[in-house]
Amino acid sequence: MTAVTDQDHTEHPEHPEDPERPDRDAGGPPRTDTASPWDDGLIARRVNEGAGEEQRGAAAARTAVPQTVAPLAYDPWLRSRLEALRELVGLSRARLDNRTLAGAGRVLEESTARRRLSGQHTVVAIAGATGSGKSQLFNALAGVPVSETGVRRPTTAAPIACSWSDGAAGLIERLGIPPRLRRRPLQATADADERLRGLVLVDLPDHDSAAVQHREQVDRVLGLVDAVIWVVDPEKYADAMLHERYLRPMAAHAEVMFVVLNQIDRLPGEAAEQVLDDLRRLLDEDGIVLGEYGEPGTTVQALSALTGDGVGDLRESLARFVAERGAPARRISADVDVAAARLWPVYATGRRTGLSEEAREEFADRLADAVGATATGEAAERAWLRNANRACGTPWLRLWRWCQERSEPPTGRVALRGQPDEEATARQRVEQAVRTVADRACAGLPAPWALAVREAAVRGSQGLPEALDELAVRAGLPPGRPPRPGWWPLAVLAQVSMTALQFAGGLWLLAQIIGIMAPNLGVPVLLMVIGIVGGPLVEWSCRMAARGPARRYGQEAERRLREAAAGCGRARVLDPVAAELLRYREVREQYGRVVGVGAGRA
Amino acid sequence: MLQNSPKIGHSSHVVTLDVRPQLLDALSALRDRVAAARFPLPLAGAARARANRDELLAQLDDYLVPRLRDPEAPLLAVVGGSTGAGKSTLVNSLVGRRVSEAGVLRPTTRTPVLVCHPEDHHWFSGMRVLPDLTRVWVPHHRDPADDLLLPGEDPARVLRVETADTLPPGLALLDAPDIDSLVSDNRVLAAELIGAADIWVMVTTAARYADAVPWHMLRTAKEYDVTLVTVLDRVPHQVVSEVSRQYGALLTKAGLGHVPRFTVPELPESAWGGGLLPATAVASLRTWLVHQTLDPAARQYAMARTAYGVLASLDTRMPGLAGAAAAQYAAALRLTAAVDGAYDSEHARVRGRLQAGAVLAGDALRRWRAFPLDCTPGELLDTLVESLSTLLLCAVAAADERVDDAWRREPAADAPELAGRDTAPESAEHRIGLAVRRWRRELEEYAEDEVRGLDRSAAPDPETVAALVATTLLGGRRGRAAGEGLAERIGAHGALRLRDRGGRLLVEHVDRVMHAERERRLAPLDALEVHAEPQAELIAALSVLQKER
Repeated sequence: MTAVTDQDHTEHPEHPEDPERPDRDAGGPPRTDTASPWDDGLIARRVNEGAGEEQRGAAAARTAVPQTVAPLAYDPWLRSRLEALRELVGLSRARLDNRTLAGAGRVLEESTARRRLSGQHTVVAIAGATGSGKSQLFNALAGVPVSETGVRRPTTAAPIACSWSDGAAGLIERLGIPPRLRRRPLQATADADERLRGLVLVDLPDHDSAAVQHREQVDRVLGLVDAVIWVVDPEKYADAMLHERYLRPMAAHAEVMFVVLNQIDRLPGEAAEQVLDDLRRLLDEDGIVLGEYGEPGTTVQALSALTGDGVGDLRESLARFVAERGAPARRISADVDVAAARLWPVYATGRRTGLSEEAREEFADRLADAVGATATGEAAERAWLRNANRACGTPWLRLWRWCQERSEPPTGRVALRGQPDEEATARQRVEQAVRTVADRACAGLPAPWALAVREAAVRGSQGLPEALDELAVRAGLPPGRPPRPGWWPLAVLAQVSMTALQFAGGLWLLAQIIGIMAPNLGVPVLLMVIGIVGGPLVEWSCRMAARGPARRYGQEAERRLREAAAGCGRARVLDPVAAELLRYREVREQYGRVVGVGAGRA
Repeated sequence: MLQNSPKIGHSSHVVTLDVRPQLLDALSALRDRVAAARFPLPLAGAARARANRDELLAQLDDYLVPRLRDPEAPLLAVVGGSTGAGKSTLVNSLVGRRVSEAGVLRPTTRTPVLVCHPEDHHWFSGMRVLPDLTRVWVPHHRDPADDLLLPGEDPARVLRVETADTLPPGLALLDAPDIDSLVSDNRVLAAELIGAADIWVMVTTAARYADAVPWHMLRTAKEYDVTLVTVLDRVPHQVVSEVSRQYGALLTKAGLGHVPRFTVPELPESAWGGGLLPATAVASLRTWLVHQTLDPAARQYAMARTAYGVLASLDTRMPGLAGAAAAQYAAALRLTAAVDGAYDSEHARVRGRLQAGAVLAGDALRRWRAFPLDCTPGELLDTLVESLSTLLLCAVAAADERVDDAWRREPAADAPELAGRDTAPESAEHRIGLAVRRWRRELEEYAEDEVRGLDRSAAPDPETVAALVATTLLGGRRGRAAGEGLAERIGAHGALRLRDRGGRLLVEHVDRVMHAERERRLAPLDALEVHAEPQAELIAALSVLQKER
């Protein structure tokens, strides 16, 4: 029987870099045994309180060898995953609510806390239902009745710890187990069990009793220990509470779990084998990987704590397990797995995300429609063509058109031509364009990120219509007459000369009729015919020739407006959206690292 | 051994089961109301309300109605408890024959077994109690029923009926599956079976008596004030008195100190191997059960107590259901209000924008500026129509977005029926485009009518007239020049008439589009049929029942 064992104040690993331990040597009362320089006042005080008990307990007389306990070291792979998780939490703080990130934050905290503490020790909790014999097994392993057993249900009310070697006080402290509930195994057992050095066994209260605070204790401690031994008995091994509330959620922790079937002494003959098989089947259904044939996974064993049957086997397994010293890291790794799995819906996507080139094009098209680029281009083209026709048309045709125009009522053109319209941009088209592009960008994104993308788009779209209004005025074609091609004067000259020919021919004929000139029908008629036929011919060829420049002119007008609108939209909407998507991609990459995709196990 | 046996009220205050037909009518009316109650929206309490409704319905169908209808039917004692409590062993021992298989593998009892005297068989072979369990009849000499199950039959929904003449007539025992079974169907079935009992026999063990799950069941029994008896099974000899005392203390603390308690020791043959316990081990329980059956006063008391207990429990359970129904209706109202609010405000915005001439912007405005020199009336109409449909589509999309925003904060909106709406905006675009094109066609017809009426030789082109009217209607202040042009072409009167008709047509079409889209959005919610009536009906049915009681 033992007493409190806080004389192993060497538990604090060296933390030369740790600034938050300023009072290491402060205020502790003088100590009886050789004090290591690494105890702080708090621990020292507690030791003093327990001193009376210490003297009573004979087994506690073991002098603590001042030993430095190396802190836990995680392998590089786990370190990088934790690092990625930290980054991930940092990057997503602004996007996700605290509740979603709480699990990951807790894992980070616990991993840091565990890392500061001893890496030589493995904390193993014994958990199970009421009356399954947790305390019995605890006592059987420790070799002494350190934990109270009984028929009164529920028996154990608070967790009890038992440490096989020194240096674990920090770990036990972390579990919140007060000194009066810390035990040491019997000297003889402990010496015989040299191989169990480093084991810290914790006896938990039951998880299924009507006492709710027991359940809370169990849940709290289970979150902190390195490994768990689940004790089940033939009566309760199929309880829904055990499987649904504990084993299924902890399936990821299979490598740091033992499941032992206790009380096989109550089973006749081969029934024990049957029950054990059934238990294996249930565990398999829970999704727990069983460690058969030397593969990593949960060890399932049958034993009787009462008669001692099979306890040796468990001790053997425990010794191997503790000697590996891998449990804390594996536990943290499983925690990271669970946290990552829980975060899956907020990070993972089924499809490729991002803004496709078509979506960008479509956005530019919609904005161009909103400022009326196509219509502007067409109008400019037609106006140019109209001007060309008018300039190169035969004078008679122009005369006729002029008359007709005077007789027709004026419409649209009479509107206040000079001053630009306010709100010339179609607001609804801009809004719809932004909405569509945001939808495209959000497709396949998890909800919080989709919301962020949408917000970025909406924020960018504020003031966009006004900017487009302004831009439509600036980027429009310069007012005034459109430029004319070089051949235009020639065409006009040709048209004028055709008219002149008509006149010349006509005058010549007239002169012949009057008799001023010698009669010569052929030449003047020919001149007139050339003039009459050539006028429309020149007009027609001009119109053909004007088509190309007109189209170019119209396209130029359209292009200027379209490019200006697209540039404005890109700067205000597409870039923020792309930035948001980039941020998501970054986070996704971090998440990939947390899950361990693309990174080989180191 | 019988401990704390309550003073069973004999002649002094016998609770008789006095059933009037009115009570039965009220009860079946209430049953129909409960059956009609639905809780489709996933609110915080909805799952619980659904479970409560199912449980209540099962209890009404399985127990209360048949019991009140046939008071002389045999008493049904249901043996319930946790896995491995030894329920089957207990039933076998009480009957004195292996009727229900016992074993070491959990869960053992997958098919519930009902045992009764051969004379009582007709009470249970029909569908009087437990109507939704298929009966399997197994003759004496046949082996377990599993091989008799018809293929495709769900083994969980089967009741095996056995007869044994060792049981007194008027008593039936039912071996229920585990109340905390890993198979959740079994759990539900166990609760249903226990709800069908006249006498609840709760079995627990020395290792289990402090478990949370059975205590939950005990508390329910207390709440319904049913005839309850507890059995502490498999108690090792050494600790009999201590465990029994502990258990008694716990029961007393829970207010169940008066409940008869029986202790059955753990014997080598008790469980493993599925043997029968010696008759002496269960003698006291058997005596108690037989007494309840054969003594008319005790029988009346046991029966009436459970029946009235369940009837009285309706006083709290029905308001609970009604409250849940009210919560459903309130949530549905909130969802509807969110949709209505979003569509109303968007509708108002559309109207405002139409007045402000927002349609005559962008492409349409450019066309209008170029009209009639560089643009045909057809092109102008095309762009106007397109612009109008964009405006409407934009309003609908914005309304949907608002609804999504509002619904995101509503837990009720997570119902799968509501989530699965068609998210393709193309279809909305299609519908709106159709409506707007129809408007254009009708407007063109109006213009043609107007032009045909003109008695001038130089009648204007109807398409030009239609384009001008559309511009006037959609252009706001900017389109004023179009109005002037229209008046010049077809006269001031004609222009006014055409504008009025076209304007009315526009308002009509816009209203119809917005209304249709809103209805589409509300359709899945309407399909859930969450109304205000169930709440009032449940309460009304309860108050009728209370009057008749």
